[in-house]
Amino acid sequence: MPKKRSLPVGTAILSVLVIAGLAVMIIRYLNGLGAISNLSDGRAWGLWISFDLYCGVALAAGGFTLAGAVYIFNLKKYHPVVRPAVLTAFLGYTLVILALLVDLGQPWYIWHAIIYWNIHSPLFEVAVCVMTYTAVLALEFSPAVFEGLSKSNLPVLRRINWHVPWRVIRAIQIPLVIAGVVLSTLHQSSLGSMLLMMPETLHALWYTPILPILFLASAVAVGPAMVIFESTLSTRAFGHKLDLDVLSGLARAIPYILGLYLLLKVIDLMAVGEIGLIFLAYPQNLLWWGEIIVGVIIPIILFSMPGVRQNRSAVFWSSVLVIIGLVLNRFNVSMLALEMRPGTIYFPHWMEFAISVGLVADALLVIWLAHRLLPIVSHEELSPDIA
Amino acid sequence: MTNHWIDIRNADCIMIIGSNAAENHPISFKWVTRAMERGARLIHVDPRFTRTSSKADIYAPLRSGTDIAFIGGMINYILNDMEQNPENYNMEYIKQYTNAAFVVNRGFTFKDGLFGEVSDGKYTATAKETWKYADTETPATDPSLTDPNCAFQLLKKHYSRYDLDTVCNITGTPKDVYLDVCRTFCATGQKGKAGTIMYAMGTTQHTYGTQNVRAYAILQLLLGNMGVAGGGINALRGTSNVQGSTDMCLLSHILPGYLAVPQEADADLETYLKRVCPSTITPKGLTGDKSANWWSNYKKYTVSLLKAWYGGAATRDNDFCFNYLPKCDPGVNYTHIGMFEAMGQGKIKGLWVWGQNPAAGGPNSNGEREALGNLDWLVVTDIWMNETSEFWKRPGVNPPEINTEVFVLPAACSYEKEGSISNSGRWAQWRYKAVEPPGEGMPDLEIMNLIMLKLKELYQADSSAPQAEAITSLDWNYGVHITADAVAREINGYDLTTGELAESFAKLNDDGTTSSGNWLYCNMYTEADGNKAKKRNNVDSHPNRIGLYSDWAWCWPLNRRIIYNRASVDLDGVPWDKEHPVILNYNTAAKWQGDVPDGGWPPINQAKDSEKYLPFIMKPEGVARLWGYERVDGPLPEVYEPWESPLDKNLMSGTRNDPCAFIGKYRNERGTSDQFPHVGTTYRCTEHWQTGIMTRSLPWLVELMPEMYVEMDEELADEKGIKSGDSVIVSNARGEIKAVAVVTQRFQPMKVGGKTIHHIGILNHWGYSGMTRGDSGNILTPHVGDANTTIPEYKTFLCNVRSAK
Amino acid sequence: MSKAVLYDATKCIGCRACQIACKQWNDLPAEMTTNGGTYENPPKLSAYTFTKIRFNEVDDGNGKLRFVFTKLQCMHCEHPACVAACPVGALQKTPNGPVTYDDNKCFGCRYCMVACPFGIPSFEWDKPLPWIRKCTFCADRQGGGLEPACVTTCPTGALKFGEREELLIEARERITASPGKYINHIYGENEAGGTSCLYLSPVPFEKLGLPNLSSEPVTVNVERAMGAVPPVLLGVAAAMSGVYWLVKRRDRMGCEKVNEKEEVSK
Repeated sequence: MPKKRSLPVGTAILSVLVIAGLAVMIIRYLNGLGAISNLSDGRAWGLWISFDLYCGVALAAGGFTLAGAVYIFNLKKYHPVVRPAVLTAFLGYTLVILALLVDLGQPWYIWHAIIYWNIHSPLFEVAVCVMTYTAVLALEFSPAVFEGLSKSNLPVLRRINWHVPWRVIRAIQIPLVIAGVVLSTLHQSSLGSMLLMMPETLHALWYTPILPILFLASAVAVGPAMVIFESTLSTRAFGHKLDLDVLSGLARAIPYILGLYLLLKVIDLMAVGEIGLIFLAYPQNLLWWGEIIVGVIIPIILFSMPGVRQNRSAVFWSSVLVIIGLVLNRFNVSMLALEMRPGTIYFPHWMEFAISVGLVADALLVIWLAHRLLPIVSHEELSPDIA
Repeated sequence: MTNHWIDIRNADCIMIIGSNAAENHPISFKWVTRAMERGARLIHVDPRFTRTSSKADIYAPLRSGTDIAFIGGMINYILNDMEQNPENYNMEYIKQYTNAAFVVNRGFTFKDGLFGEVSDGKYTATAKETWKYADTETPATDPSLTDPNCAFQLLKKHYSRYDLDTVCNITGTPKDVYLDVCRTFCATGQKGKAGTIMYAMGTTQHTYGTQNVRAYAILQLLLGNMGVAGGGINALRGTSNVQGSTDMCLLSHILPGYLAVPQEADADLETYLKRVCPSTITPKGLTGDKSANWWSNYKKYTVSLLKAWYGGAATRDNDFCFNYLPKCDPGVNYTHIGMFEAMGQGKIKGLWVWGQNPAAGGPNSNGEREALGNLDWLVVTDIWMNETSEFWKRPGVNPPEINTEVFVLPAACSYEKEGSISNSGRWAQWRYKAVEPPGEGMPDLEIMNLIMLKLKELYQADSSAPQAEAITSLDWNYGVHITADAVAREINGYDLTTGELAESFAKLNDDGTTSSGNWLYCNMYTEADGNKAKKRNNVDSHPNRIGLYSDWAWCWPLNRRIIYNRASVDLDGVPWDKEHPVILNYNTAAKWQGDVPDGGWPPINQAKDSEKYLPFIMKPEGVARLWGYERVDGPLPEVYEPWESPLDKNLMSGTRNDPCAFIGKYRNERGTSDQFPHVGTTYRCTEHWQTGIMTRSLPWLVELMPEMYVEMDEELADEKGIKSGDSVIVSNARGEIKAVAVVTQRFQPMKVGGKTIHHIGILNHWGYSGMTRGDSGNILTPHVGDANTTIPEYKTFLCNVRSAK
Repeated sequence: MSKAVLYDATKCIGCRACQIACKQWNDLPAEMTTNGGTYENPPKLSAYTFTKIRFNEVDDGNGKLRFVFTKLQCMHCEHPACVAACPVGALQKTPNGPVTYDDNKCFGCRYCMVACPFGIPSFEWDKPLPWIRKCTFCADRQGGGLEPACVTTCPTGALKFGEREELLIEARERITASPGKYINHIYGENEAGGTSCLYLSPVPFEKLGLPNLSSEPVTVNVERAMGAVPPVLLGVAAAMSGVYWLVKRRDRMGCEKVNEKEEVSK
């Protein structure tokens, strides 16, 4: 049995954060959104949309990229990280939905998106794709659940033949993965399409008709980075050490994707004669340079170096840079570079932070539980933990 | 108004002066806008740049209280221009329809701001004699207007002192703007062009407010703008039925129909009539030779009034109960200020306040609130608790120390009762009851009726009480359930021989065979047409569609929409303005068409001798007065400074203030410009009403204007370290108030008499009662009033401002 | 036919009867306000204030002060961003002109608020069951043959209601008839692809606080992106399937070769 290190203090803290988040949620349902946020008519979307929705969806891209790599492109090397990636993605999407339960004005009507369709709305497309993809992720992850249930200590559960649903899911694995890639392509890019509606308020350094493509590219880049990030932390937390080859393989792909992303961004600005803005458009250009230097240029350089790729720590920190760059980009396009109505000021209320932090803590707790109870990392893939 | 609201759209030029019509009469701007759409120009003369100024072609800044200089300069401009370009003016109008040509008493003098000798705040009787015509019965006239003693030449001489530099130095108006105003407005002097003046409290609420209006009269007469469509002197009345209340003469010096209140010395009806009824004056040398002198019918109206009040008890033998009328002391001032002065001296025991709020609306609030404390009893009839009914628990007083017993009678608002409302255009429009008043609220009419019935009862029981018969003999036959309809008929009057409603005041008699509660309103309710105030036919049936809408409601007199309209045609009866005639077609139709003519007589040139009726029938001499000898402070408007002025001297003469202004003594401290250098002026905003009692408790209006504020220019604010939105304190000799500062470019400092002066604009809508509260602007206003009417000088006084931080 | 409202700033006297009429017709509560040193209140449009007047003290370029007012409310665009944005179609542009809101569909995502280039839709931040609120163009009154409440109450006729095409003609006539009185532009004719609320002004429209917008509807790029969805969906599905099939086939080929080698070596 692998050593399972538990974190009693950590779980306590996480639980407190989750409960705090729940308390704030209750206040929201009793007193309205104004009671727990600094949102206003001038800034209707704030921390939750930027972080929980925009970042949350992008950072969950590891699910479809890894599933596609492993099951469609048959890159078996990455098999050990598929399940954690899918779990992370599933939790990520679940968090998005939970965040929406707080952020939406009337979340009990969220099912309206299923019966009232506005096919012209990119948000409709995101909604439908996210709902569907979350189901797909659940199904993709379900084999792990069935395996765990079949090994359960409770006789009630042991008696059920979990092999049947397990086999059903395995049978439709490929269509699920293809569906996952298609749905992810659509909604990762549509989150960018949503921003196309604001040509007058989204700063020219980010607004472009190819925004959906840029969104997709950055999501594909951050997928592997998130997998590196999550599995490194998992190793520290649960002792499942991942083969370095897997990590460096993932790291290898990133600079190409980031390179393409940077190329698209620069050519796009040049094509409309706005490349000068990266120097002239103060202070927004600082945000632009921030996300490009931290999240694109430095990682490209780092990941191009074999010495970095072969070093677990270097690979980890380089991935962190990619993630930070992605987060900054999503905050830029959905908040920092998106003009508010005149006379508005916005900084998230501490209760807004409480919700987002609570949701992340929620996810961490679930991951911890999953690693405890379910075969997240299959036995065969385990490397001996060299003491 | 001499004209009416809709008629404003006929003007070629509109001058809004002493009024902020867009803010305080927003509906009027419908007609101003129509006029401008037809190409009319709008001039706004005001100390402040307001929402009215925002629409004006020309905005002329004016130091508060300097209207006479401003208009006097325009009069001077006209008189000079007339010499060069007489064809630009209607000289025939001036010569034939005004007293320009009349020869004035050769003893008339004007020196250093005074029209003769003043004693004890009054011109002497001798002085006043010199203001009259040389011949007071059949005045000689000089149609060439050259006799140095004719009114025209005296006018010219007087206003020759009002040159451009002097005027602009007094008013603070930039000279180029001033000339622009003169040129634009005086262009309406042409035949066929009409200019109208819209004015309000900015004109009247000064110690020489009456003379302000006189100045407009002179201006409009020189321009031939009286009696014509799109012309006139049009007062924008300050509340929805103040016209009705002044027509019913709820004022201390007049009885319904603008009849004079009897005085102590009027021992009987004859003596009274001798004093008040003007003798006809027949001018010699004009084409018109007959003055209708409509006021010569005084006796008919007085007797009919007495018959309405006393019914059968009023007979020829008892002078129609004339002696039951209360008689005034000639030396006593019974007006608002006078009354509160007396109250302050403890002379008044009880006060009944109806739909008024003197504790916030009267001048010198601190003084008036204290004066209320001297009453034994106070009754307030109102739809809300207000500063007056709550004066005894206002901030800063100890209620147990106030011995006034206060009664509150809840009233009904306008939608909760029936009756007519008379608008500024003299139109009486009948209103209907939509809902029941809340709680115990009752219409004033019912309250008054019940009080009167009770008084009758009490006086009947105790006939020894003084003046008992004055009450017991009243013909008060409305019963317990009085209706507005019954009163309307009573006001119209009856032919007592037939019991039928009187047809018109032309049919009222002086022998007790007719009754009329108000001769002006006689004709409103007839057997043939019923209650004409209820008419709602919105067809403009005038041949030239000048907007009379004569079949919509009813106006006095006799539904004549534009009064003095016989001045709108020439001596042959041809309208000066072919496109907008008021009355027309006498020659073709053998009677006047269009508006009700101001006398149906033939045109002057067609009438027989001695029947050539002159157009201004309410004047004893039949013509309008450029020269107005019956005002107490002079026959001509003359520049004086307000009681509290930023200037030490009157730049026009050695007489600083109007010598006949009423100066109150009760707690009426006077400040100097050293202590209080800035000019304060009070006014209203669109969003609130009067003392704010009706509006400060309505959430939608409070949302618009939530707090008491004052306005000032940026330079003054900078000096005092005040930013827009800051809390400030405005103070003067009579008190201080706290308010929010609105610092704006719309106020500008003015160069006056070599000094830079700043205005501070103070709203008067707030008080300590109601849903939202604030300090009353009237804490700062002085207890001084107009020489002729004692209307308080709300519009100009001294004050200072400091940050409240 | 599509109705519109023409607001002529040269006739508006800033009396705010329109603000009150709107409150009265829509039964909206008054907001708590303070005097911040201006006549203007409430400071912004909100779920409880569908229209308001903005007070602008403007230099006319010749050193002369102008006091000009702007009526602000939903512009009822011809190509509304909010209509394209709403995932459930709660906002619709009706043929008569009003952009209507159906709270039977809305779940409060607030995308319409972010999308609107005029910054109009407001939200009930203080309610546990919050809706989006904005000017309705009095669609209910229009349905009854009446004009919007604000238009009906305006004393000077600064607001005029009618067919959009006719009002545009009238607006042009007003500009031509009085040279120099108006800026030679009808705001709303083309802004954001055209709106039902048209403005005439004596001063540049930025001074009225109206945003400077291009004449292209803000929905243009969104439409392109959404139009690409079906081909992208099919394309990616096909590509992924294709890759899978190819990779599988290569692996199978590879396995067969190995098997062959093994058999040969046996």
